[in-house]
Amino acid sequence: MPAIRNQIRELRARREMTQQELADRVGVTRQTVIAMEQDKYSPSLETAFKVAIVLGVPLDQCFQYDPRGKR
Amino acid sequence: MAPSLSYREKTLYASLAAELLVYGPYFFLHQQNSVNKVAGMIVAIIVLQIILQLVIAAFSRNRITDERDRLIELRGYRAGYLVIASLMVIGLGMLWFHAAVGHLRLESRMVGLHFLSVFFGMLVIADITKTATQIVAYRRAL
Repeated sequence: MPAIRNQIRELRARREMTQQELADRVGVTRQTVIAMEQDKYSPSLETAFKVAIVLGVPLDQCFQYDPRGKR
Repeated sequence: MAPSLSYREKTLYASLAAELLVYGPYFFLHQQNSVNKVAGMIVAIIVLQIILQLVIAAFSRNRITDERDRLIELRGYRAGYLVIASLMVIGLGMLWFHAAVGHLRLESRMVGLHFLSVFFGMLVIADITKTATQIVAYRRAL
């Protein structure tokens, strides 16, 4: 289990937003959105805030930290 | 959804192809190397890289790079650095060993070319390692 998990896929689906749309609005590539949704990439704090703002939720609703998780 | 290749990934595959295409024949086919061949190879790799990058840029709609691209780039440079540092240590060690046991008998006019070839080979291996590491990082999603 990764140390930082996220709900990007669920929140994005709820807003009927494509990966490309989210990527364009956050300023990253679609491949980065895919990597984040698969919990394979933990974004910087700045990108994490941008994702949360675009998805319209507080940061801790979008990203969760598990201290027992694998870094 | 399956991730398609990003602009950076396409350029990396093109770089790797160009490196293998130009460096491969140089190191595996030519028995007698020369300064002219090294210079010709450097020019060839630069020209080929420019052409490939222009073609990829022309056919890529989205050319942005982000923090993940920069992180992967750094990983590639770190791997390349470790390889070249290791090769330098091994190469100097072997040079010292062969000189110590008296195996090193190079004609004086060939010494420069010999060293140029060895150090250029180290640079090429490090460069290919850098590119391959970046491709692997992209394929593993990081």
